[in-house]
Amino acid sequence: MWRPRSVKVAIWPRLTRRGATLVIVGVLLLALSLWFDLRDILVLAFVGIAMPGVAALFVALRTPRLAVTRRFAPPVIAAGGSTLVALVVKNRSRRTFDGAHWRDGVPSGLASAPEAILPAIGPYESMLPAGDDTVRLEYRLRMPRRGVFQVGPLRVGISDPFGLARIDRDVGNGHEVVVTPRVTPLDAALGSAASVDGVLNGLQRRTHPNSDELIAREYRYGDPMRRVNWAATARRGELMVREEEQRGDPEARIVLDTTLAGRPKSSAYRREGAEDTHFGFELGVEVAASVGMHLLERGFRVRCDRVDDPERSLLSEDSGAGYRMPGGDHLLLEGLARLEQPSSHPSSRDVQHAPAHASGPRGREARMPGFAVLIDPDEHDARTLVALRSTFEPAVAFVTETVAPSVIEALEKSDWRVVRVRRAADIASAWAGSAAPMPSSAPTAVSSTAGAASPDLFTTETG
Amino acid sequence: MRPDPIPLSRLQRLALTASSFLLLVVATMALGPLIAGSGWWWLCAFVAAGTLFSGAGLRALRTPASLVPVLELVVMLLLLTLVFGGSTSIALLIPTQGTFETFGELLTGAQRTIEQQSVPAIPVPPLLFALALGVGVLAVFTDLFVQTFRMPALAAAPALVPILVPGFIIEAGAETPTLVLTAAAYLLLLRIDVRVRRHARLQAGDEGDDAATIVPPKRVPIVSTLGASLGLAAVGLLAASVLAASTPSVSTSLLLGSPSQGTLFARGVSPFIDLGRDLRRPEPRPAFHYFARDADRPYFTLLTLDRFEGEVWGATDAAVDGDNTVDAMPRPDGLSAEVATSEHPIEVVVDEVRTTWLPVPYPTSRIEGLSGSWFWDEGSLAVRSVDTNTGGQRYEVTRLEVEPTVAQLRDAGRQLPSELEASLEMPDEVPAIIAETAAAVTAGATSPYDAAVAIQAFLRSPDFDYSTEAPVADGYDGGGFDVIAQFLEAKAGYCVHFASTMAVLAREAGIPSRISLGYTPGTPTQERVEGMQRVEVDSHDLHSWPELYFEGIGWVPFEPTPGRGSVPGYSRPGAGDETGPTLPSAAPSTPGSTGRPELDPDRALSGQSADTLASNAWWQRTVPIALLVVLLLLLPAALRLVQRSARRRNIAKGRRPADAAWDEVIATARDLGTGGDATQTPRAVATAIGERAAFREQAPAAALLSLRDAVERERYGPGNGSALHDEALEQLSLVRAALIEGATPVERARAALVPRSLFDAARGVLGERPSGDA
Repeated sequence: MWRPRSVKVAIWPRLTRRGATLVIVGVLLLALSLWFDLRDILVLAFVGIAMPGVAALFVALRTPRLAVTRRFAPPVIAAGGSTLVALVVKNRSRRTFDGAHWRDGVPSGLASAPEAILPAIGPYESMLPAGDDTVRLEYRLRMPRRGVFQVGPLRVGISDPFGLARIDRDVGNGHEVVVTPRVTPLDAALGSAASVDGVLNGLQRRTHPNSDELIAREYRYGDPMRRVNWAATARRGELMVREEEQRGDPEARIVLDTTLAGRPKSSAYRREGAEDTHFGFELGVEVAASVGMHLLERGFRVRCDRVDDPERSLLSEDSGAGYRMPGGDHLLLEGLARLEQPSSHPSSRDVQHAPAHASGPRGREARMPGFAVLIDPDEHDARTLVALRSTFEPAVAFVTETVAPSVIEALEKSDWRVVRVRRAADIASAWAGSAAPMPSSAPTAVSSTAGAASPDLFTTETG
Repeated sequence: MRPDPIPLSRLQRLALTASSFLLLVVATMALGPLIAGSGWWWLCAFVAAGTLFSGAGLRALRTPASLVPVLELVVMLLLLTLVFGGSTSIALLIPTQGTFETFGELLTGAQRTIEQQSVPAIPVPPLLFALALGVGVLAVFTDLFVQTFRMPALAAAPALVPILVPGFIIEAGAETPTLVLTAAAYLLLLRIDVRVRRHARLQAGDEGDDAATIVPPKRVPIVSTLGASLGLAAVGLLAASVLAASTPSVSTSLLLGSPSQGTLFARGVSPFIDLGRDLRRPEPRPAFHYFARDADRPYFTLLTLDRFEGEVWGATDAAVDGDNTVDAMPRPDGLSAEVATSEHPIEVVVDEVRTTWLPVPYPTSRIEGLSGSWFWDEGSLAVRSVDTNTGGQRYEVTRLEVEPTVAQLRDAGRQLPSELEASLEMPDEVPAIIAETAAAVTAGATSPYDAAVAIQAFLRSPDFDYSTEAPVADGYDGGGFDVIAQFLEAKAGYCVHFASTMAVLAREAGIPSRISLGYTPGTPTQERVEGMQRVEVDSHDLHSWPELYFEGIGWVPFEPTPGRGSVPGYSRPGAGDETGPTLPSAAPSTPGSTGRPELDPDRALSGQSADTLASNAWWQRTVPIALLVVLLLLLPAALRLVQRSARRRNIAKGRRPADAAWDEVIATARDLGTGGDATQTPRAVATAIGERAAFREQAPAAALLSLRDAVERERYGPGNGSALHDEALEQLSLVRAALIEGATPVERARAALVPRSLFDAARGVLGERPSGDA
């Protein structure tokens, strides 16, 4: 691990303000001495001219040998949080390394620690290390935005002993730090054990009629009555209940609008400031993260798909089978963190195929909860969602302000429950609104058809 | 520029002070070739150390930064009092009014001594005072740059002052080792500053949550960095030396001409050739009077000219030798023991003559009672001062009377000591008539003495007329060989012509000669004090005469001018036929009244000419000082203009244009004294400014508002602000014009000359910044 890393020149030697002033003074003195024939001053004039040049040569020729390790604590941060970056700089040269400043390279838009003094580091101690060849640096890095950021390499500015010239070198490599989207804790309304249990168990029983043989176990105190498996009880002569419902493999799908196909007409909504950050898109990612985490905690297997191509997984290829606990939450968040904002030209639109029906319509019994997060879909996306409606139960669409009214209308017509989200603080209430039976006057406007569909979700089905 | 906000510890400040002291003291060494001895350097070091280290002490006591330079000046004053105040001070340190009077006299003396002394100068007290004062002021400036502004690189400016001086005065300039040492000391200062700055920043750390924690190693050897510093400095200095040595000399000294010692050389008495300019002076002015025995009527020599070159004949430029004090003057050159000599005291009281040359008879064995520093010149025994003049002097001259016999003169050997060859030098191109005349006159002479007597007799012959008008009328007034040639043809002139002609003819004949400038013995009065007769010498007694050298006797005066002075007995034709010694000063009892023509031309050196000199000097002094004062007064205005143009440039180049424009608006408002508080928000400032009458109109008000909006957008808004530079410039001009329009003329003038915004900024820089290890 302690291997000298490459030391590259980031900025070529240049004179400091002091060095430049010295050169100017030297030139003035030279002119003065030549004009008045003061040959004695000539020496000083050339000191002024030559000294910065020699200093620049010095810093250019003197290559430091440094090894840098960087650690983040914590390595994964939620957006808006901060991480402590710990650097260990080790001198691998036989000479003392002095006269340097350091500054860790961070992507633009992040505020890094200001340039600070790198203390003198003693020569490399191959034997009896006393730690005098090591400097530890720590600084707190604030991460306001979701994404994966490259921190580093360490930029070391080396000046000569007289402060006349300076060179900037990059030491070591950069490291990635993952900033996950913020997750809003959601009410347990939807994911309450009862409802999930009921829906999914019913599903499973229909798909695998014999499974109850395999999963029955003895009744233990506290098992709900509705879990009693009457068939097994009859056979075994004692009270049997169904085994854990995880076996039922509950699944939910989140369909995220990643292409922002309707973008050209709504570019006015882009907020300036945080450059290249689409506010709506970030909000959508946050909604998806919150919902996804919520579902994962409730034991669902969660699939994240793209709205323009629901059979393609949104995040990475190996997540096609969906995320599940344990570990799925980290993967989901990291995947969402890596999710790049779509380029301004929706080029993915060339794969124009009828998506929803390709896999064939599933039966009513194969329905699973479906959540669409729409930021700026176009008509094509709307058609896809309408086609998918039949496989989802319930089907909730979280829409941001930028979604076109025509799309919302189309969704509502096809019995999607549309919930509007304006900002991150709305997510919890929107979620609650999506779960509760909606009066039409609620701020998160829900179409009457979607409202009518919702009770299905919460009905307890016993098998 | 902002001062470095990081406070330094006492030890760090002390290190900086010590290295700036070293720099200053080493730079002062560059004056070495100009000043004799080394005591002056120790004095300078003492004053510099006192000033600089008192500054360090004051900072250790947490004196406000703005007060430190003032207090340093006070410390310097105390030190100067200690050294120069003498009895006028209280407890040796506290200056009184008398001390300041002493300082004033020392300063005028210093000015004189700088004008009069040649290199190497003798460190007389006035010169020492000037040096100590200068070094003290430089020390204060160095301290200001190094400690207050925290820009030690600027310490080069004060250090350059003593280094530049020698180059303008002597050809060689400062010595190379000194310069290299100075550069090394400067680099040392830079190095210490870098180290101190790094340590201070490391110790202070940075404020704020995002500041990094740095855990340095416990022990780090500094030896290897020391090696790097030394190596770098050595390479740099070596490269500079090589470059300097290999640079060809491109002498384009058109402006100053080649620097020579002339700038320091005495100007008190014009060389005799300039006498002609001051010919027409009606009333004689009393020059001095003296008391002497009846027989003592010597010529009083001021200075001696021995270089006959070009148009202006002058004395050999010799440095004043500090050992040549006038209390023991040497025996004159070439005087052997065989020649009869006697000593006679003469008391001289100076009346109105003001020169740096002392009128003394030649030769003199000692002078007593002079005030100031007076030294005699090698050879001519002319006495001059380096720090004062003849004004108000009263002194006793012990004159050595030389009484050679004709036989001794005639027998003088032709073997001349080698150092006198300079007194035989003639330029290559001499008008033919001079050589012809010399040959004709001295044809029958058997010895140098006979030749000299023949020349004197030739010039005193009736063919030559004493006339002050003829040379001017015929256009050969002044000096030089052409003038002598014309004089030999026209045969009319005054003492200058006679003296120089005889000197030149003597040289042609192989006799070393020189021209003395001074006074004839003067007019005796009836007043007697203790057996001594009082003799008055006035400006009409100003005279010049040749002196010829005879081996074994030395320099002997002759008198070729008809009707002036007294002819020495040994130089009369046929004097050798007499027996016994002649009386060289066998003067008539009233030589002035009889021998002096009515219109005496030789009045140049009277007190009045000194007056014109003084008035000239007054002009020369006042005009540059006035110019300097005007420039200094205009300095704030110039700085303000520079600042404004810098801001306009920023606007044009789009570097935070709205900010720059708004800063300028605020500064203009402050200059005019109409609010413009930089701490207020742009909106508040705009409201305050907008209430002024000039902004009731549409255009300026709109410009102000749009500028305000622009600056708000730039400061608080996201990302890149407005890009409308030209518009901002235009709006700025509009707002400025409106602001200025609303001001009274007095306010406008004050805004232009004494811009308040600038002084606020300066106060910010010099503001209360606690020193020490906070």
